[in-house]
Amino acid sequence: MSPETSLQDPLRFHRKSPPCAVVIYGANGDLTKRKLMPALYRLAYEGRLAPGFAVIGISRTAMSNDEFRERMHDSVKKFLEDSPFDEDLWKSFAQGLFYLAGDVADPQSYQALVKTLAEVEDSRKTEDNALFYLSTQPSQYAEIAEGLAAAGLNKGQGWRRIVIEKPFGHDLQSARELQGRLEKCFHENEIYRIDHYLGKETVQNIMAFRFGNGIFEPLWNRTYVDHVQITAAESIGVEGRGAYYQEAGALRDMIQNHLLQVMATVTMEPASSFTSDAVRDERAKLLRAIRIMRPDQVAANAVSGQYGPGRSGSEQVPGFRQEKGVDPESQTNTYAAVTFLVDNWRWAGVPFYIRTGKSLPKRVTEIAIQFRTAPLAMFRKATAGAEALPNVLILRIQPEEGISLNFVSKRPGSGMQLRPVSMDFNYGSSFGERSPSAYETLLLDAIGGDATLYTRQDMVEASWQAVQPILDYWSTQKFDFPNYAAGTWGPQAADEMLARWGHTWRRP
Amino acid sequence: MTQEKPIKPDKILKELSEIWSSMAKPDDTQAGDTSAQGGGVLRACAMTLISFVDDEEDSQSLNETLAGLMKEHPSRSVVVRLREGEDFLDARVFAQCWMPFGHRRQICCEQIEITSSMNRLADVAAIVGPLAVPDLPRVILLRSARIVRAGALRKILPLGDKIIVDSNRAGAPCFGELGGLLDAGHITGDLAWTRITGLRALLAGLLDNGIPGSINIEYSGREAGPEARYMEAWLESALPATKVGLKGSGGDGRGGISGIAVDEDLRIRLNDGGAEYDMHGMHQRASMSKCTDEELLNVELGIVIHDPVFEQALNRITA
Repeated sequence: MSPETSLQDPLRFHRKSPPCAVVIYGANGDLTKRKLMPALYRLAYEGRLAPGFAVIGISRTAMSNDEFRERMHDSVKKFLEDSPFDEDLWKSFAQGLFYLAGDVADPQSYQALVKTLAEVEDSRKTEDNALFYLSTQPSQYAEIAEGLAAAGLNKGQGWRRIVIEKPFGHDLQSARELQGRLEKCFHENEIYRIDHYLGKETVQNIMAFRFGNGIFEPLWNRTYVDHVQITAAESIGVEGRGAYYQEAGALRDMIQNHLLQVMATVTMEPASSFTSDAVRDERAKLLRAIRIMRPDQVAANAVSGQYGPGRSGSEQVPGFRQEKGVDPESQTNTYAAVTFLVDNWRWAGVPFYIRTGKSLPKRVTEIAIQFRTAPLAMFRKATAGAEALPNVLILRIQPEEGISLNFVSKRPGSGMQLRPVSMDFNYGSSFGERSPSAYETLLLDAIGGDATLYTRQDMVEASWQAVQPILDYWSTQKFDFPNYAAGTWGPQAADEMLARWGHTWRRP
Repeated sequence: MTQEKPIKPDKILKELSEIWSSMAKPDDTQAGDTSAQGGGVLRACAMTLISFVDDEEDSQSLNETLAGLMKEHPSRSVVVRLREGEDFLDARVFAQCWMPFGHRRQICCEQIEITSSMNRLADVAAIVGPLAVPDLPRVILLRSARIVRAGALRKILPLGDKIIVDSNRAGAPCFGELGGLLDAGHITGDLAWTRITGLRALLAGLLDNGIPGSINIEYSGREAGPEARYMEAWLESALPATKVGLKGSGGDGRGGISGIAVDEDLRIRLNDGGAEYDMHGMHQRASMSKCTDEELLNVELGIVIHDPVFEQALNRITA
């Protein structure tokens, strides 16, 4: 047995992560403060990071290492969820935090990084491994990658990886252009495109549910599934992010990335093994199988919406066009609903309805798989229509993660009265165990070189291909916005879209 | 003298069923609260946990530990309280419920408490067997010194798929008995071994790049406690070329591990909730679990298969 493995105990020890330096561009930004640093601290708390772990924060603001540590201390204390804050552990963790002020457009900043990385390698023994995390404006991704490459930072004695956050382009062409510049600097297996939805425990649980159990997969096809509804609803509006959101819209912000990835997870074929490429190959195949709409099919299969003033609970809330920083004539969609079809043997003819929106009645993300009804209504005379209710399997992603199965049951008493009942499995409360945040999972994976939950360029392009005809068509339209009131379930046209298939939206 | 009522598993299961039915009904006191009416209770069960304890053990503390376990390992819990003296056997059932923060529904788990005199242990086994939830793992938590003293350990083994002990507790089975369980093919866990997991993981990380010449395990007390013995056995098994030693710091009793010295380069000191060491000229601190019974059992209940690393260490001690 080699010395590396002899002290290991895979049954009880957490996966080992190699020593490395995480270089965060945008270190003074919200994502670093709210998500990245609390996630890294939490990983340190759980002993998941190697002793030589280090963080080098980069942004334009001038500050010393100590000032950076102080700011991060306050952020971690403020945004750490479900965990105690240990001041002694922080002191040890903070020794590995360093800061570098620099402008991404300035070549000197990359030279300064070369020097700092060498110093950190010397003091922390990071084995020259470096993970570059770009928590910046997407428009800076390519520029930073090129700056790193020009300074020789894309290669080293250890491994080099770069993590970028969505959006990966704003359409198919820009996604390809971004890739064209990135791939000149880093190999595809060194580029980690983060989609934090895939890091969510419950999204990963979809794979466990589908492929760890034998009883569901035989039903998971066009023979038994009538249709699938994927809903990602937000009860709040854009709340101060109007200027950003105006450029993106619901289709780009949610459907092109998060929800198509979720759909791929629900519908992909089983991978031959749970390895990064095997799983991503299957996801990519599914995304490529999504039928691309012709321009004349878009109006019937995609609905754009924008909320107007309305009520959220007992509160009067403004419409999108009344939000700060938003054009009063904005044509941005805050709601999008799309019918997708998947052209493969498993799913041919099964509609997948995806909807997402701001200012809907409640915050909920779920996948509802509606099965076909029983072939013979043998209890029809003795029921009030309950028998005709289809079985629905609901995979709830948030807020109460879990799985529910709706079925009909006999009412107690004489006679054969049926009624629908719901059998619930609540993931979070059946197991009170703390689930790691999506960023903890994804950062650890990137440090460990596991890209299973990261998006690959072919997946990104396949997703853009699926939504591009909708974007193109919508860009030629002038919508009569607003077309739904805040606090309602979206525009009437979305109901009509399903009605054409003989379906109705669930009320989650 | 009143005649003892017979205890039948079927009756206990019926009482459990009645408890669930009554809990599913809306609470009259909350008639106006529609969320409570619609909330109900949520049942979850991942295993049967059978705890053997001596009757003197503080029931409140035990129940708190068991309730804590339910969050991660929702179980049907059977607590068998054993006492000396006259013929006695009684059972009662109840549910342990809690309302998770921010949720509408309570989570409830079943608990069956059986109180028995030692001479009725065979009857206890006949009652507990049918009470186990079908198809799910059955785990025995042995905290009764009486069973060990009476040499009755093997009488209860058929009730479970795994038996968990804590060698650090007074009256626990000795290493020889635990080794005997392994030889007989029983899945065995020892909380004394679980207690050193964090320290073992830390050492494994720190010793990743080379094989040390010597490692000294320092313990408080006159005699090395089970944790120190396990650590020594694990290191000897994993690093056969390294000289592993135990060194006591004096004092009374069997002490726990207080530090570990690796060659001249590394010295780990354990203190409350963490380990401290110096590396690359920098002082480092690693957070570690406080190792409450609840935390340790949470780990052990998650492993219902043979643990080769633990078994290798135990076999080394008993060889």
